[in-house]
Formats: sequence, C-alpha cells, structure tokens
Amino acid sequence: MKAKLTGLAVLLLVILLAGAYSVLSKGTETTEITGYVGGEKIGLLEDEEVQKVIREKYGIEIDYSRAGSIEMVTEDHTGMDYLFPSSQTALELYEEQYGSPVKSEIVLNTPIVLYARAAVTDALLEEGIAWEENGSCYVDMEKLAACIEEGKAWADIGLSELYGNVTVATTDPTKSNSGNMFAGLLANTLYGGTVGEANVEEVLPRLQTIFRNLGYMESSSSDLFDQFLKTGIGAKPMVAGYENQLLEFSAENPDTWEQVKDDIRMMYPSPTVWSSHIFIALDEKGANAVEALLDEEVQRLAWERHGFRTGIGGSAADTGSFGVDGVAREVTRVMNMPGAAAMARIIEALQ
Amino acid sequence: MKMRRFAGFVITALAALALCACSGRGGARQEESGSEADTVLGSGRVTLRILSGSENQELEPVLEDFSKESGIQIEMTYQGSLDIMRTLEQEQIDYDAVWPASSLWLNVGDTQHRIKHTESVSISPVVFGIRQSLAEELGFVGREVSVRDILDAIESGKLRFCMTRATQSNSGASAYIGFLYALLGNPEMITMEDLENSRLQAEIQQLFSGVDRSSGSSDWLKDMFLEGGYDAMVNYECLIIQTNEELESRGEEPLYVIYPYDGLTLADSPLGYVDGGDDEKEEAFLSLQEYLLSDEVQNRIQRTGRRTGYTGISEENKDVFRTDWGVQPDRVLSTLRMPSAEVLFEALNLYQTDFKKPSLNIYCLDYSGSMAGEGNRQLVAAMEQLLIQENARKNFLQASNDEINVLIMFDDQVLAEYTAKGSGEELEALYTEVKEQETGSGTDMYVAASEALHVLDSYDLSAYTPAIILLTDGRSGGSFDVFMEQYEELGEDIPIFSIMFGDADSEQAEELASATNARVFDGRENLTEAFRKVKGYN
Repeated sequence: MKAKLTGLAVLLLVILLAGAYSVLSKGTETTEITGYVGGEKIGLLEDEEVQKVIREKYGIEIDYSRAGSIEMVTEDHTGMDYLFPSSQTALELYEEQYGSPVKSEIVLNTPIVLYARAAVTDALLEEGIAWEENGSCYVDMEKLAACIEEGKAWADIGLSELYGNVTVATTDPTKSNSGNMFAGLLANTLYGGTVGEANVEEVLPRLQTIFRNLGYMESSSSDLFDQFLKTGIGAKPMVAGYENQLLEFSAENPDTWEQVKDDIRMMYPSPTVWSSHIFIALDEKGANAVEALLDEEVQRLAWERHGFRTGIGGSAADTGSFGVDGVAREVTRVMNMPGAAAMARIIEALQ
Repeated sequence: MKMRRFAGFVITALAALALCACSGRGGARQEESGSEADTVLGSGRVTLRILSGSENQELEPVLEDFSKESGIQIEMTYQGSLDIMRTLEQEQIDYDAVWPASSLWLNVGDTQHRIKHTESVSISPVVFGIRQSLAEELGFVGREVSVRDILDAIESGKLRFCMTRATQSNSGASAYIGFLYALLGNPEMITMEDLENSRLQAEIQQLFSGVDRSSGSSDWLKDMFLEGGYDAMVNYECLIIQTNEELESRGEEPLYVIYPYDGLTLADSPLGYVDGGDDEKEEAFLSLQEYLLSDEVQNRIQRTGRRTGYTGISEENKDVFRTDWGVQPDRVLSTLRMPSAEVLFEALNLYQTDFKKPSLNIYCLDYSGSMAGEGNRQLVAAMEQLLIQENARKNFLQASNDEINVLIMFDDQVLAEYTAKGSGEELEALYTEVKEQETGSGTDMYVAASEALHVLDSYDLSAYTPAIILLTDGRSGGSFDVFMEQYEELGEDIPIFSIMFGDADSEQAEELASATNARVFDGRENLTEAFRKVKGYN
C-alpha cells in the first residue's frame, strides 16, 4: 500500500514537473541545452549575435563541451541533449549503435581543404602537384599521395630548411572529423574512386603506413589549425582542415590576418569531400535547436562571420568579403566519402 | 583504453592516500583536498587556481599586474607537464585552469573533455644550452648540429648535461624522443618494434650516463643549474636566455644555444579552462586569457625570451634573442614528429624502468622521540607508498631493475641499516623493518647523513644518480659544519633532500638542502607530490 502511494506521488511529481517544463519552455524563459561539439564550430556557438538570435527567437541557450566528431558518437554521451559532429559518417555510426536519433539535420557545409605556408604552396606548384585555376589553388590528390608514399623529403621539392618528409598533418582520424575525412579522401585516392566495404581492404595497408608515419595527431581540428598559424612553417608545413576555419579567422581577426595573409595559402584538394555539419538531437530539448540553427539570420551569420557555406550545392555569394585570396565560388570537383561500413573499417585499421 | 585504466589506478591511489591522510592527521584540521598553491598573486573576490608548468614562474610579474588591474586573485601551483596530464585524468580536478608546456599532454590527459577555451600563449623550442667555450671546443658554433653530433660528444665523455625527467616534464620527454630518433638512425617514425631493439637499450643507457642531474620540471632545472656549476642543460630556449641573463649579471660564462636540426620540438604553452560550471570563474579566466594575448602583454612576454604572435620576433625585441649566445630569432623551427600516444607511453615506461641511470637512494628515517606517534605514523605510511611497488606504480614511483635503495634508521645514532637492489621482494621486505622499528630518544640527522655518505662512497657513483633523502621532523642536534667538512671531502655532487613530517621545523633541513643544491618538501601536505618531486631530481 505504502509503496503504491509512493509510486503515485512520484508519478504526480513527474507530471507536475513536465507540465511546468512545457509551460516554461513556451514562455519567455530560456532552456539551456548541452552537448558535444567539434572544435571548428565553437566560434559560431560563442558568437554573441548568433546566441542573441537563438535566445530571443527560440528561447534556447546552447552550452557545449568540445569533443571530436567520431569520439562523441562512439563514446559515452549520457546527459547530453545533442551531438554536433561534422559529417554524415558520424551520424551513420551513431545510427548503427543507437538507432535513429530524435532528430538530425545538416545545418552547415564546408569543404576539406589544405593549408600551407606560401613557400610550400610554391614548391607544390613548381613540382606540378598543385595548379591554379580561376584564382584558386588546387592540389592533385593522386600526385600528392604518390609524393607522400614515395617518402620524398621536403628538401627534394626544394624546401631544404624543412626537416623530414613531405606530409600532411591531420587530426586523429579515429577521433576527429577533419582527419577522418582526409583519411576517407586518401583511401578514395589510393583506390582510384569512392571505396566501398568490398574493396577497402586493398588500400588499408598503404593507408596505415601513411598515418603511422604521422605519429601523434591532434584530436581537434581547431587546435591543429591554431598550431598551423602559430608554430610556423617548420612545425606544420601543411595541414588538412575545413575551408571555414581560415574564413572565420580572417573575419574574427582582421588585423592579424592582414599581417600574415601573404604567407598563408588555402588549397582545394582535387577532388575534395564535403564536411556536412549535422546536428543530432538526442532529446526533445535538443530537437528545438535544429530550427534555431536553420534560422535565416543564423545561417547568414554562419557564412559571413564563420565561413560555413549554407547555400544549395555550397555555392557562396561574396567570396571576396573575407579578404582571403583564392576562395572558390563553387566547389565542384567533389567525391562522396566512403560509406559508413567502409569508414568503420578505416577507423578500426587506424586505431 | 590504456589511459582510462591508468586513470582508474590514479583514482584508487588517491583515495588510498586520502584515507592515509585522514587517519594520519586525526581528522581535526582537515583542509580542502589538493595541495597548497606555490604562489598566490594579488587578492580579490574571485580566485583562479592555475596548475602550470614551472617555466611559467618567470611570468609571475605579468600575472601579478593582471591581478592588480582586475581584482582577480591567481594561485599558481607548479608541476611538470606530464604530472599535469595525470592530474587531468583524475575524477576531480582541483584547479580552474591548466597551463602545461605543450598541448600534447593537455590533449592526452583530457579524456573527459573538461578543458575548453585553450589558447597557445607563447612558443619556445627545446634546445641544448652548452657553456660557450665548451660549445666552441666541440665545434658546435657556427654550424648546423645534429642530435648524433651531441650524442658523440656525450659518448666520448666530453659533454655532460642536465635534463628534466622524461616521465614528468615536457622538455625532458621531448629531448628523450629526439635521442631515440637519433639512436635509431632517424626512421620516419618510431614504432613499438623499434623500442624492442636490444642495441637501443645499451646505447641509450650509455647516453644517460652523461646526465649530471635532473629535476621534475624545467624552471627547477634552471634554478638547480644556476646553483651547481654544470656544463650544459636541455631546456626551453626562453629559460636558457633567462639563465644567460643571470650568468652574465654574475660575470660568468653564458650558455650557447644549439638547435639540433633533426631533434627539435616546440612547447606551445596552452592555457585552458577547466570547466567546472562556474560562470564567474569562466569569465575571470577569459579576461586573464584576453590580457595575456593582448598585443601589449604578448610583447612583454616576448621580452622574456618566448616567441609570441604570428609574425615572429619583432625588431625591438631582437636584443633579447642574442645571436652571440647562439640564439637564432629568425630560424625556421622545423620539428621532429612525436610518435603516437601508444608508442610514446611505452617509451616513457622504458625510460623509467630500463633506460635512465639507476637511482641510488639513501633514505634516512627519523625514529627519534619527537617523531613518536603522529610523525612516525606519517613516515610509515609514506614508506608504504614508496616500497610496496603496487602502490608506487600508481604514481610512477616504481623502482627500476638496477636501482639501489638503502634505509638508515636513526635517532641520535644510527639504529639500523638495510639495502635492497632492484624492484622485487628485497625492496618490499624493507617495509616490515620500517613498520617494526621503534622510536628512540634524541635526534641527530647529521649522524645519519654522514653514514649515508659513507655508504655512497662504496659505490661507483658515475653509474648511478645518487641522492640522500631525510624523512624527519628536522629538530636535530649535532653539527652542520662538521658534517659539511666530510661532505666536501668526498667531493661528489650529492643532493640532500628532506621530506618533513610530524611537528616539523625545516630550518636545519633547508640549510642542508641549500648547501647541496637540493630542496625541502612537506610530506604532510601532499605526500605523493613530495615523493614525485624528490624522484624528479634523481
């Protein structure tokens, strides 16, 4: 009898709380949601104007902890309202383990690019590994992969002040999305087309060697980009990242950008892959944020201040507004990432 | 996975230690867990507790100015970067911010994603500083030098040096990885198989036989270096610059900076916020970070010999980066690649157990009357953490295979003496003796230290890193002067550390420490910390 009464009391309390919650969330009170976010989107979430729109129009405050796109879905995420990784792969890995989330939607896009110091880009142009087209610089992925696999030293391509072999520093492909996507792109390149579950094994040994030789890898795209900018040509001659990272940096730090722009180059791998930043809502609270992030005003700020492409097909107006040279108006030579099963094999092989 | 299991160990160990601490202290004057800060700067309503690499000690004046302007108090606690990594792995972090030397340790340690707003404050490469005339003699001046060139000088006995311990401090770990690459013939990447190479072990042991002294963090190494009259050290470029400023003001010969072209690493000095959900602290942290990254303060930090900003060293600061000291302000700092975490930690384990010069520790344990009760309980608990290897391993304090540990028990005379070689049963059996020894009457720590010198004299000290460690309450009879006569006569560089227990008075222990280029630690505040610091030096 007593237990029944207690049960009833608990039930009543839950009903009351749920009622109170729904009243509050519809009212002027803001709901705070928290989740895991890839480092490259923190600038957007910390943007006061973005926060203001989301708070005033949708009554939501988005709090976050930073985590790599792959580890946020594969590791424990109890207590979180959402996950905000940077690729379709992350969603597919989530679905395999946990089934369909409450809601998910691609809210931002940005292509994978290579960043290098001017001297490195010039050397790649000289070697015929890179070329210029309509003011943008493109890198032939096959030639670059061959150069890495052959173990060519930087000195062999005319950069004698650099120690060691030609390499692209990436984030850890088993933890973070930009590294993961670059690994997918390299696997495609080695295979000669989008690699699937059936043929991924063929390229794994070569892929393992390339990544083993990178040694320690950063687990966050934003850390890697920050180090690229701060530690100079010697420590990070060339890194893989997102196009939006440099656009955001130039928008947020125009004075610094003015000082360093002559030495920093953005190059598009040819072909490249799209990073689709996908918002995965784990509960109803999280689901409300999807609409907020797709708000026209938020999407405009996402491009103008943080460099995320939001238009259909990734075409962008006003590529000149950032003061960054060589931003492609459209990114057309794009290939699909390997599917989730093939990517799972790649991640496993690179563990 | 490995790291997580390790974090589990650490937590268990801490819980055990916390229990020891509680029962030891009788619970009456319990304070908050976590150790006391090393330096408190300014005062204010909000306090930021920062766990930092000791190299940032040089930035205290900058932090103090911030504190004055903002009314935010700053508490600095210093540890080696790898020790900071281990702190981050724990369930609870008793700090609001972390500031290790390199982001590598921050990222590896932050398994629970609690660190945010991380920004690099400055950059400094890990370099060799060699006494100018010696560098010239070795032919290292005015040309590119490889790690192999340095190793050759060490192997031929022409060069001896100091470095921090690779298992505790970033500069030591970085240098060690550079050595491994060179000894392996500069492969593209160090692999697990490479570490099993039997020739490597012999070669690296020979290399480490050239290490004079070590410490647990880089700034302590600099301080020790300045006291000791050594020939060379591995340290950050900025700390070599500061060392030289001090040497020059004393009218002594400066160090010449060598950048090994195939073994260079950079410390990027990341300052990150430990997210504890306190908005006020977060705001205070962000204002500190903004201050440190402002143009004016970045320029001031550059004047301490650190590389800041995106555009290199400014013309007006070139006078700090003196080319006559071998400093190359415009050098392209091309770095080696750090191996993966798995290989890196295996390499560090090998360093601890097989590669580094074995320690020769003489523990002098105070069993005088004044230690009876409380003090004795603390001492026994301390030795349990050290001698029982399962406990020691949890804190990276385990003995190596060739290590020698000697216990000298004393009151006003030597009561007993035991020796154990290696890390096996012989060592663990000593704990029974520690437990069963009864406390006696008066105190004379000089008698014990003198016996310790006598013991050390019977070993070939070039094959070991020797140290005398007093565990005492410090209230001693006997004569410092008489003891020092004997010490000088032996003519060896042996540090005499003290760990204080009971109702401690550290004056006499300080006197011994400063005469022998050592330090005094408090064993009652945070024992593991005290042991780790002592072990860092030997």
